[in-house]
Amino acid sequence: MSRTTDILVVGSGMAGLMAAIVASGQGKRVTLLSRGCGSLNIGSGCVDVLGYVNGQAVGGQPLDALDSLPERHPYRLVGKEGVAEALKTLCAVSARHGAPLKAAASGNRRVPTILGTLKPTCLTLPSCRGELLETASSALVVSVEGLKDSHPALVTAQLRRYPHLAAIAWHEAHLENPIPGAHRNLSPLDIARYVESPEGTAWLAAGLRKALRATPADVVLLPPVCGLSNAAWEAVAAAVPVPLVEMPTLPPGVGGLRLYTALKSELQARDVDVVENALVTEAECDGKHCAALVAETACGRRRFAAKAFVMATGGFMGGGFLSSPGEARETVFGLPVLQADGSPMPARPEDWSDQNIFGNHAFASAGVMVNSAMSPLRIDGAPALNNVFFAGRSVGGYDFASEKSGNGVAVATAWRAALSACAQC
Amino acid sequence: MSTHHPTPDACIACTTCVVNCPVARATPNYLGPRLIGPAYERFRLLGLDEEKSLHYCSNCKNCDISCPHGVPVSTFNMMARADYCRTHKPTLRDWVLGHGELLAKLLRPLPAGLKNFGMLNPLTRKVLDKIGIAADAPLPAFAPARFRDRLAGTYQGMQPRKIALFPGCFIDIYDPQTGFDLVWLLNRAGYEVIIPREFSCCGLPMIANGFANDAKANAKRNLRAMQRMQEQGIPVISSCPSCVLMLNQDVPEFFPDLAQTCTPHVLDAQAFLLDCVERGELSLEPQSDFAERVVYHAPCHLRAQGGGLPGYELLRQLPNIHVENADAGCCGISGSYGFKKEKYAIGMEVGAPLFDRVRRSGAGLSSSECGTCRLQLTHGTRKPSVHPVSLLRRTLEKTA
Repeated sequence: MSRTTDILVVGSGMAGLMAAIVASGQGKRVTLLSRGCGSLNIGSGCVDVLGYVNGQAVGGQPLDALDSLPERHPYRLVGKEGVAEALKTLCAVSARHGAPLKAAASGNRRVPTILGTLKPTCLTLPSCRGELLETASSALVVSVEGLKDSHPALVTAQLRRYPHLAAIAWHEAHLENPIPGAHRNLSPLDIARYVESPEGTAWLAAGLRKALRATPADVVLLPPVCGLSNAAWEAVAAAVPVPLVEMPTLPPGVGGLRLYTALKSELQARDVDVVENALVTEAECDGKHCAALVAETACGRRRFAAKAFVMATGGFMGGGFLSSPGEARETVFGLPVLQADGSPMPARPEDWSDQNIFGNHAFASAGVMVNSAMSPLRIDGAPALNNVFFAGRSVGGYDFASEKSGNGVAVATAWRAALSACAQC
Repeated sequence: MSTHHPTPDACIACTTCVVNCPVARATPNYLGPRLIGPAYERFRLLGLDEEKSLHYCSNCKNCDISCPHGVPVSTFNMMARADYCRTHKPTLRDWVLGHGELLAKLLRPLPAGLKNFGMLNPLTRKVLDKIGIAADAPLPAFAPARFRDRLAGTYQGMQPRKIALFPGCFIDIYDPQTGFDLVWLLNRAGYEVIIPREFSCCGLPMIANGFANDAKANAKRNLRAMQRMQEQGIPVISSCPSCVLMLNQDVPEFFPDLAQTCTPHVLDAQAFLLDCVERGELSLEPQSDFAERVVYHAPCHLRAQGGGLPGYELLRQLPNIHVENADAGCCGISGSYGFKKEKYAIGMEVGAPLFDRVRRSGAGLSSSECGTCRLQLTHGTRKPSVHPVSLLRRTLEKTA
């Protein structure tokens, strides 16, 4: 069985969804294969572009800081204009489906989190404008009784430790639990789903107004409970007299689900075929040309033929890499997973990480080496395949955790990889 | 397939399954797939008592579909239910819902009219409601005769090739017309359809209702017939996604000892038809002026197979059918789940986004491969719902 599509995208995280959107936007017939639905839908929905370079915070426009990155960094390979174009595409698509992403006027913004830290990020939904906190002289941190992992006292105690927030008058409040008697600990997603209903919207707006009457403040910080749609967010925000800021939480993060839903809506609008629960295990290659990928399915092995391929299969966590002591390989083509400088992984597993948690971990920036077209390279630097392109965490040369660049690199590399794939068919 | 106990340790507690579980969305009384599946499995292995909300799992498998780490969440739940039911006898209601095929056999001497009157009249529905089958639930009506019996007496023409059909209870007992539509298409592609005598209920309703031993007995019979077909080189297909998933994936997971004797391999009938089209055995050139706007609903158990949506693909290739993919999640019936009195409202809540999508589409009917999905779709939208093969036949059969 071999039904041919123009472009086969593997992976349904940020990079996979974005690659499918960009390729279908070029008029190509696209099929997306997924095994699991990625981690975008449990994240915060914030798109980090570049928060730190060498441990130094990037305060203004993240794109202005790209030049200070190493030459092999995926952003340098995509180029500043490419990264800008990719992010613009994402903003347009997400806005079309009710998840309008925007950067702060100054570029990067810092968003208060449920753990009381300030998370540097760039594009966010309108509910995550952390900069609103920086001009406030008083803030009310609100949670809901019984809500898991959400403690206003922790948030205020931590945020007070930031010198520029120390002068703020911090207050705390709890709203009554709208889902009493639940058998499980409630998560922000449970509350957000309730708030999506008209009575839920009214409950939250009334609760916040009441809390503000008791404790007036310039801004309200709360977990991401303001519904799942932009309409629900706008209804709540309009009914409360001061600005609201939703704090990113532990998974499920709600904001990520809003963004994921928007990107899936775009795929649906473009009639992209989505094949779920297909584990790609092998590639059929003739020299440098890939003809098809083979997936394990409940009906046996199945062949998916295409003219070009975008691999957004993730890294060690996502299933894109397989490791054994002293070695790591990309799972489908068996490409070498290399360190950021292009050298093989250290022979001793203990050298894959650093003693210092904030140090340079070899595993964190390891990945498939690519050229500026996102075409994978062999260990000697020569192109390994002609019609296969990599995107997202499977690409090496960046450390999303220490740079705060995960979704940004996913979007930029996916954009480039999709265009490279389109040029092949 | 591994013969070892599946490990819960692949779960990193990322909550993806919680986000994607339609039952957890509909009720806060369910602990959720992550906790009931892999997390609680560790307690089960220590011998702790079962968690009280296990029964909320509808076995729709959206946890498995969404899990980024390949954790067999629904398998943990169903195996736990089987274990629990070994010491806690399931109710009469659960026996009835788990044994539709046996029930049909017992009622066989009665004419369909009488059976349907007997089962579906308001008084009986009240009695059924008393034992726990929701009075509003869309119970299917018995067909006058079983599909396999009628097929045995039907001349299929001289066909060059043979194919074995696993009919599934829904077509066999309630909906023979869909079966005949599929047979018509297969005959046209040059295949004579046979149904091996041993083919019985795939066992999924038994598993879902806690009758693992009965499911194993059926699996044995089905594997025996499948092995015979494999020896004769006759492919086995089924147009019911749940049967395909149960036979190919769940049977080896639940009963690894059985799967050692024969590896079940059932093909999706719609994927097979697409292959026929590709091989040039079947033309999709319309022969009638039948035209329709249709909303397609992908059954969860089809999505879980990893083979895409071949039924949707077939419909999309018909020029006179304007089809859109609802892509609105589970319909809420999950086999027999939505029939249960205490689950009916949950099922309707689960299906609400899908019903809304179908209603807003403006399409005259919906289409789905799964029989109980079609019942639920009709119930939730008041619009007819048909199997893709029926739309295919209406398009490809010459109208007089």
